[in-house]
Amino acid sequence: MYKETTSSKIVKWTLIGISIAFVILMLLLPLITVIAEAFKQGFDIYAKAVSDNYTVKAIWLTLEATLLAVIINTVFGLSAAWSLTKFHFKGKKVLTTLIDLPVTVSPIIAGLIFLLTFGRQSPIYPLLQDWDIKIVFAVPGIVLATIFVTFPFISRELIPVLEARGNDEEEAAALMGAKGWTIFRKITFPHIKWAFLYGVVLCAARAMGEFGAVSVISGHLRGKTNTLPLHVEILFNEFQYVPAFAVSSILVMLAIAILIARSVIEYKGRKKI
Amino acid sequence: MYVELKNINKHFGSFKASDNVSFGIEKGKLIGLLGPSGSGKTTILRMIAGLENPDSGEIIIDGKVINNVPASKRGIGFVFQSYALFRYMTVFENIAFGLRVLKKSENEIKERVAELVKLIGLEGLESRYPSQLSGGQRQRVAFARALAPNPQLLLLDEPFAAIDAKVRQELRHWLKEMIAKLGVTSIFVTHDQDEAIEVADEIIITNKGRIDQIGKPLDVYSKPKTAFVASFFGQPNIFKDYNKFHSFDTVPNVEQAIVRPEFVKVTKKNEVQKFKNSAEEGVVTDIAFRGSGIEITVLVNGETLTARRSFDEAAIAVGEKVDVFIYRLFVTVGENAFLLENKSLREPVVVI
Repeated sequence: MYKETTSSKIVKWTLIGISIAFVILMLLLPLITVIAEAFKQGFDIYAKAVSDNYTVKAIWLTLEATLLAVIINTVFGLSAAWSLTKFHFKGKKVLTTLIDLPVTVSPIIAGLIFLLTFGRQSPIYPLLQDWDIKIVFAVPGIVLATIFVTFPFISRELIPVLEARGNDEEEAAALMGAKGWTIFRKITFPHIKWAFLYGVVLCAARAMGEFGAVSVISGHLRGKTNTLPLHVEILFNEFQYVPAFAVSSILVMLAIAILIARSVIEYKGRKKI
Repeated sequence: MYVELKNINKHFGSFKASDNVSFGIEKGKLIGLLGPSGSGKTTILRMIAGLENPDSGEIIIDGKVINNVPASKRGIGFVFQSYALFRYMTVFENIAFGLRVLKKSENEIKERVAELVKLIGLEGLESRYPSQLSGGQRQRVAFARALAPNPQLLLLDEPFAAIDAKVRQELRHWLKEMIAKLGVTSIFVTHDQDEAIEVADEIIITNKGRIDQIGKPLDVYSKPKTAFVASFFGQPNIFKDYNKFHSFDTVPNVEQAIVRPEFVKVTKKNEVQKFKNSAEEGVVTDIAFRGSGIEITVLVNGETLTARRSFDEAAIAVGEKVDVFIYRLFVTVGENAFLLENKSLREPVVVI
């Protein structure tokens, strides 16, 4: 440790002070407000708002969309990360850049893209009609939009880890006659495990909170295509403040659970290496 | 020939990594593939292993062309430069991996791993992870892992590159002994001439994707066939006009003369020099202490030469005038190299 001078002390405490003030003002205060507002009229009213039929359906839909997004993005993320780090091919740079598109594009636009691609104006709409597939203003649309916005999270976590290591261990295992799946299970996966779980957590967090893209494509059909964030908006617009905050508090609690999971994963991952 | 390469060519883009490479290796031999970085030696090793495919040519092991046999089916042990130990597996599991792939029984695996752990002298460290081992220990584990499934051919890519100098010395001897004991045909890649000379039964010298020379270490060292090999070994001083120095035959079209330190004798003016007549006067420009002796740089006839003297001989100072005698030198004509001996070595010494 170097010796602190008076001026460096001032700098240190000013910076710490600014950070703490910012965290209180921007994060803690709103969080407390949400919880306080939710319980303003007592626990009974809160319980009623939370166990409301539409709310429960919104919770299930959110969890469904999140689960599907995590599963599909796991498959996509693993294959994308694997192909981008283990193979050389034309258009590799383009693909790497395209993967990031969902985080750079506004979610509203993402929603609109799907609305135009699968909606009534779309040239493939009659085809979808023939096959009796509903995407827009239905659950598949919501899942699609959620997958889209959470698309890069898992692959982005894996690519740097895989890149930093190279192929030696896989080559060594292959030379000894190990098959692809054995190599992945025994050599590659133990290495990327923590980064992968971290990516899953980030993906889940983003999927649960997604509003913009889902809002455009959902059609706000209560009990059918309403996710939790959309449900909060509806309640809020109807001046039902207590239920709105009560439902928000569910999202807040999910977020906190994910934060804890994240910290545990980060801690364990660091200890392993 | 146990391993044979016939007219192998390999390109990486426009870079020619192997240019019509052909050679054969006898069973049980320890072969050093020696060459500077980028000379194509690792590519040759990786093609034998099946990690790269040649553009053309045949690779033959034990009488069978194996170009189309996948790497996993060739039964070759490979030690990577980085060792590539499985970092999430213990020493035991690392060594056992190849056996598990072969679906050996748990008892067989235990027995074989114990045998190998004893061979590499790491008893008691079976449950350690690679990160808990020293560089030398890791190298031994990599060696044991490659040997576990009893390969008929062992390939080692720069096996000593990542180890510090002192341990490297020990490991060289250890590896040479181990391989001799096991009798497994082995090929190792190195850019270190001392390593190749010390360890290998035979050296294959690569240069710009081609094989320049194959032979026993002493032959390759003392009878280089090409200009590249002549200048690669030792600490060569290279200059153009060797006729400045006395008593060498004149060869037409010589491009370069190569003089190694051991070809040069530096004597003080008051010391006896048998070939004083053919010696030239030089001025000492630098003296450096090496571990084993003294390295002297002299300026003779406008050329800088390096020579060695032992600590037992009288000290020489910078700026001193000395006698310099060149026993022999290599001259190069095109790609080829020839050895020229100083003529006064052959003639009876004329005492005036």
